[in-house]
Amino acid sequence: MRVHSLRLVAVSAALVLAACGNDSPTSTIDTTSTARGTLIEDPPLRIASLDAPTLNAELMASAAGQQLLLVAGAPACGVDFNYFHYWTVGGMNETATASGALMVPTGGAGCTGARPIVLYAHGTDTNKNLNLADITDPTNSEGALIAAMFAAQGYIVVAPNYAGYDTSSLDYHPFLNGDQQSKDMIDALTAARQALGHVLASTTTDSGKLFITGYSQGGYVAMATHKAMQAAGMTVTASAPMSGPYALEAFGDFVFLGHVNLGSTIFTPMITTSYQRSYGNIYAATTDVFEAAYAPTIEGLLPSTMTVDSIIGNGLLPQLELFNSNTPGNGDASSGSALLDAYLAEPSDPNDPNTPLFRLGFGTSNLIKNSYRIAYVADLAANPDGAVPQTNLLPAAAPANSLRQAFKTNDLRSWTPAAPVLMCGGAGDPVVFFPVNTLLMQAYWQNYAPQLPPGVVTVLDVASAITGPNDPFLLAKGGFAQAEAAIDAGAGGGAAGFQARVSSYHSTVAPFCSAAARGFFGLF
Amino acid sequence: MKNTKILAGVGLLLVCGAGSAMAADAIHGNEIRLGLYIVQYDAHADDITGPFVPKGLNVNVKNVNTAYVAYVRRLSPNFVLELAAGVPPKTETTGKGPAMLGSVPFDGQVISTAKWFAPTLLLNYVFLDESSAWRPYFGVGANYTKFYDRQSTAAGNAANGGPTSISLTSSLGPAATLGVRWHLQDRWSLYASYSYSVVRSNLVANTAGVLRRTHIDFNPTTLVLSVGFAF
Repeated sequence: MRVHSLRLVAVSAALVLAACGNDSPTSTIDTTSTARGTLIEDPPLRIASLDAPTLNAELMASAAGQQLLLVAGAPACGVDFNYFHYWTVGGMNETATASGALMVPTGGAGCTGARPIVLYAHGTDTNKNLNLADITDPTNSEGALIAAMFAAQGYIVVAPNYAGYDTSSLDYHPFLNGDQQSKDMIDALTAARQALGHVLASTTTDSGKLFITGYSQGGYVAMATHKAMQAAGMTVTASAPMSGPYALEAFGDFVFLGHVNLGSTIFTPMITTSYQRSYGNIYAATTDVFEAAYAPTIEGLLPSTMTVDSIIGNGLLPQLELFNSNTPGNGDASSGSALLDAYLAEPSDPNDPNTPLFRLGFGTSNLIKNSYRIAYVADLAANPDGAVPQTNLLPAAAPANSLRQAFKTNDLRSWTPAAPVLMCGGAGDPVVFFPVNTLLMQAYWQNYAPQLPPGVVTVLDVASAITGPNDPFLLAKGGFAQAEAAIDAGAGGGAAGFQARVSSYHSTVAPFCSAAARGFFGLF
Repeated sequence: MKNTKILAGVGLLLVCGAGSAMAADAIHGNEIRLGLYIVQYDAHADDITGPFVPKGLNVNVKNVNTAYVAYVRRLSPNFVLELAAGVPPKTETTGKGPAMLGSVPFDGQVISTAKWFAPTLLLNYVFLDESSAWRPYFGVGANYTKFYDRQSTAAGNAANGGPTSISLTSSLGPAATLGVRWHLQDRWSLYASYSYSVVRSNLVANTAGVLRRTHIDFNPTTLVLSVGFAF
């Protein structure tokens, strides 16, 4: 869902004719420390300052903005959009810079003074130039979403762009590397806290309450960050991971068994590049994994300054076809095992409504070689994940495939929260499957953390039925249902309506889960 | 207030000296002139470029008055060398463009002040002979402008997005003047002149490491009213 297009706003850049002769501009970059969490420019640049009426007017200027306001509510506060840089690390703990947004609420009571912080992790973005602080960029829909949903309602928002994006010194993005990404989040938070009190809206301060949330990739990162901060003894008031791939090994195995998710041809090279650069053992050469048409340029392809359409149009990635439709033993040479050949076959269950979706992931312009898929699936057969098929719900004890090892390393079936967690998503999500991630995490904690008091973990499926007038998530569920109906009707209903709903499902969930997260945070 | 006093002083001298020009006064080789500089800018700047800069952002410069001081050396009956300078004026820069940047006022806001040290060296040709009470002249030369003592205003910081440091290159350009001298008596004369200088500069603003740039033609024209004392 492209939430918005704030058109105007670039504050800044009034070149001031106040002169210093021939002096060169002095950089405010702090070169004295590259320690994690160090704020590089203090105070950071404020890109824009919008009071509540102006923010409201800007959002009202577009249809997407109007929809967002319906979910988020009218802004109660103005928002200052600050753009900061900080020191963090890469996937190998190498020193790196990164940037982020520090959105500071402004205005009257409830906006200034001591305010809670929302630490937000963004979703997968192929745009290397992503800058959530740049509210002047009409493509920055996620920045607008979190501004309207949280900052305009009195929350200080800290949202890193992640190492590997924007002006980061890192030449790759450690995608779904839980250790690195949680460090990145913590470092952004540390730097942003340094900036508070120094930024132009200096009367808004940190109350000490910290909420963590994020969507999709960011849902994973939010949970990994909660885990890391809890382990480090840092305060987390509550978290709300949304639509995240938490159980990475189970999710990966499920996909390699043929249940191909939408977006998999984008996610796969981001994952392999990340883990190859972090661990160095995913492949000896990209041709070990990828078909020859894609292998030469696949490493480091994403994130990119090219659009996804251009990348696909230039033949650098297939649009949907992750696996070869000539599967081993069925159009291609057998794996040598009838069982594996059966595992590797295209899904054909007529009773599974997702079968047509899964089959979109097969074709002859496929990304991943059959040979690699055979090797992966052979390992999952030999060292099965306890959730695929469902047995003990735990990751495999000792996977042999290096990608599965990386998945296990980053799988979040490895902790138990002490502070409240709301996991939100949609049961029909075709991008990040809800059952093998959200419901699996819930089942994992139910089975392996029975000491967890009731209420610490809450699961919300926004596509579930409203339980009654007292349903605490009535508005999120009702809003999502209305949005789905509108998308269906907009596409003319029928098969076209179904297709429209499926293709937009993942992004349609986002604002409703975000609204639920805000309501959840408001309890503390 | 200071400029008003100078103007009043010039006016007083005009009254006191009226009709008392003496053609037979002695010739002196040096002269000091004091008076009033009325500086008008017709600034033209490129729209500002750089990260997070909306289209159509520009700047303007407010006119300024300041004290004028010059040393003049007689080279011949018709040529003099004039080294003119003003007490460096505090010049105000205003935003030019949209009324608001988000919720921050911009257009017409004084976003900074700066001082200019801008000496001009002119070779003047003075018409008529030295016994004439009225002597028109013209001159050509060069202006050097150095900018210093920047003060970014709160409005400027708000518009720029934070505390801002500025680099503004010094300018060296041609200058020309037209004027007239009225010899009062003995060592005293009154002058009025109109001058133009080419003053151009490249400006780079640095806010939290983010650089924005423009090129400015200030196009200053100056009206000078002064009194000279020869020695």
